[in-house]
Amino acid sequence: MDRRTVLKNLAIVAGGAILLPSCLKKPNDDTIPLKKIKLSDTQQKLVGDVCETIIPKTSTPGAKDLRVNLFVLKMLDDCYTKKDQEKFVAGLTEFDDMVKKKYGNAFADLTDKQREECLATLEKSAKPVTIPSKSIKPVGEGQKSIEPPKKKPDVPPLPFCYQAIKQQTLFGYTNSQYFMTKLIVYELVPGRYNAHFPVKNLKNA
Amino acid sequence: MANLNIDSVKDRTFDAIVIGSGMSGGMAAKELTDHGLKTLILERGRDVKHIKDYPTTNMYPWEFPHRGVIPMDVQEANPIINRCYAFREDAEHFFVKDHEHPYVQTKPFDWIRGYQVGGKSLMWARQTQRWSDFDFEGPQRDGYAVDWPIRYKDIAPWYSHVEKFAGIAGNRDGIPELPDGEFLPAWPLNDVEQYFSDYVKKNYKNRHVIAARCAHLSKPNQIHLDQGRAQCQERILCQRGCPFGGYFSANSSTIPWALKSGHATLRPFSVVESIIYDENKGKAVGVRVIDSHTKETIDYYSRIVFLNAAALNSNLVLLNSKSNRFPNGLGNDSGILGKYFAFHNYSAHIGAEVEGFTEWTTDGRNPAGGGYIPRFRNVYKQETDFLRGYACGLSAYRFKQHKTEGAGSELKENLVKGDLGPWHVGSHMMGETIPKEINFVALDADKKDEWGVPLLNISVDYDDNDMKMQKDYIDQMTEMFTSAGFKNITPSTNHQAPGLDIHEMGGARMGKDPKTSILNEWNQVHLCKNVFVTDGACMTSTSCQNPSLTYMALTARAVDYVVSEMNKGNV
Repeated sequence: MDRRTVLKNLAIVAGGAILLPSCLKKPNDDTIPLKKIKLSDTQQKLVGDVCETIIPKTSTPGAKDLRVNLFVLKMLDDCYTKKDQEKFVAGLTEFDDMVKKKYGNAFADLTDKQREECLATLEKSAKPVTIPSKSIKPVGEGQKSIEPPKKKPDVPPLPFCYQAIKQQTLFGYTNSQYFMTKLIVYELVPGRYNAHFPVKNLKNA
Repeated sequence: MANLNIDSVKDRTFDAIVIGSGMSGGMAAKELTDHGLKTLILERGRDVKHIKDYPTTNMYPWEFPHRGVIPMDVQEANPIINRCYAFREDAEHFFVKDHEHPYVQTKPFDWIRGYQVGGKSLMWARQTQRWSDFDFEGPQRDGYAVDWPIRYKDIAPWYSHVEKFAGIAGNRDGIPELPDGEFLPAWPLNDVEQYFSDYVKKNYKNRHVIAARCAHLSKPNQIHLDQGRAQCQERILCQRGCPFGGYFSANSSTIPWALKSGHATLRPFSVVESIIYDENKGKAVGVRVIDSHTKETIDYYSRIVFLNAAALNSNLVLLNSKSNRFPNGLGNDSGILGKYFAFHNYSAHIGAEVEGFTEWTTDGRNPAGGGYIPRFRNVYKQETDFLRGYACGLSAYRFKQHKTEGAGSELKENLVKGDLGPWHVGSHMMGETIPKEINFVALDADKKDEWGVPLLNISVDYDDNDMKMQKDYIDQMTEMFTSAGFKNITPSTNHQAPGLDIHEMGGARMGKDPKTSILNEWNQVHLCKNVFVTDGACMTSTSCQNPSLTYMALTARAVDYVVSEMNKGNV
């Protein structure tokens, strides 16, 4: 039984969908065992470096400090269709080639400034990312209305790949414990509803 | 051996058997045991104990592996349940997965199910409105279905009875078409909702925008504390199960209440195969159960049976209860069992932006969800080219907006900073559909489930009336939004299949005549007087209110009736 199978079995024992406790993680924090999407360790690290460039360590923790890079990999592995996963991999390969051609170096070896420059180019071609609002939408059965699937324009692999990383990075970051406890206040138990509340009294939430 | 058998039969004999432990079954169990009847509650799924079996209830967003998103392999394997708005990582364990319990769709129908103690009362949207005579008199006035055998005065005290126990928040709005109830304080409308309410009141005759009425304990009474429930804490994580018992569910309320009485026995993992009819006695004598694990067939006996398996499964149980006397299903001499099935038309939505009110927002969360617009079409007289009408949800909200362009430290700051965006307002339609003979459910001729019970074959669809109503909803709401000054009005229609409204109704309708209905005015099977059906299957018409409260009121009323009949020796 190889290491990957062992880890997978342990995960099943631990309850299937539950994230592996940190003690069972591989020693390096750049990769996770993937079940579906085909990404090499180098490619996984590349995704992580892009995450870290989007949400860098500043006076507050960055994407890697908060393991958002691993969350992004998990989402790519678990929550995308096979077709989209293949497109993602194609896009990531294209990105890697583009970077090497332009800078003569892999993304991992670029300076922070060069990395930002790279992503700025991609930003122009990718559509804006929306983050799911942290505010709870009103309840009621309106939410169950399901729009007929709109014909999405077929996004080419490279912008698709960047959009996916950015979308999941922002999703993971803004839903991280650090963000939701230190930067904003997520309330599990509000215990109130003020229907008529002055904006000026609003706290950071 | 003989003695053992006798004992065994004795052990399997009760005063009453309730099939199903959800919204109406829970209420049946509570009412029956309140009268001291020894009651067996059968549930096909597993037990879900209040609090103990709500594994996600206190989880923070970051504790969910996919932060709420259902993994793609689960989505792809479960296209039907995946269309349900509440099927998310925090509550997916309470929903039946497509492959677990297949059914046959002659026409597309999204059958949303919760096979566990508490049923769908765990995950429901908790909206509760009474019917009025404008609803009960509908079929007779407008010439469809059959006349309801009851009127508002018959059910009104039972609405009060169950409202007091469940705890319903609402305002006494004094609207004849939406009678007031026994209310706990309502959650208020916010500034934009209130503006629209005032505007509509001033400018439209007989149209009202009121605070939504919902089954939440805004201010619990002693009866709620006695159930072990506490004040709603405005979490709005209800679909996970509430550790406070802040909203009404069978799990937090009626089922533990019934069990506490000492008169109830709860048997999970019990698939009901049929109701056993004894031709010599001319009545039902019990219920045939298949243990879902062992597949063992066990007969349970009782003086009366309450069928509360939820509308579709109650039809299935009746259809499958065949005997020499009833070859087409229990009480089905008329051949109408399974027919005149209906649902609610949720096929349209409208959104808009609202200018102004920028100084105001909301703080905390509103469990009621906002406002409610009772049906205003064809209430006092027929005024459109379609029958009946629709109620509307109405809610206004605004969110903080974040700039998400770029990458790096500025983006990080922008994710925290941000200004409140403009107010938005949204509404969805909840339309009555007309029960028709061609909308029916039946036993599939060939396919059976793993317990040998025939699969249900569902053939239900929209009609012209529904499409005209959809258009009218969009026209009327667009006009009201426009004249109220809302901008960027965006109506939309969806093509969701019947069923996704989760308000399936009918098939064993109430009526005066055994030739055209299955149940009488007491929800009693016309031709088998000790069987009562008090869930959605009993509905003669659907009107447009959220139906759970009405099922519970009908249930309590039926129990009261049957207990008095038993005392008189008539059952």
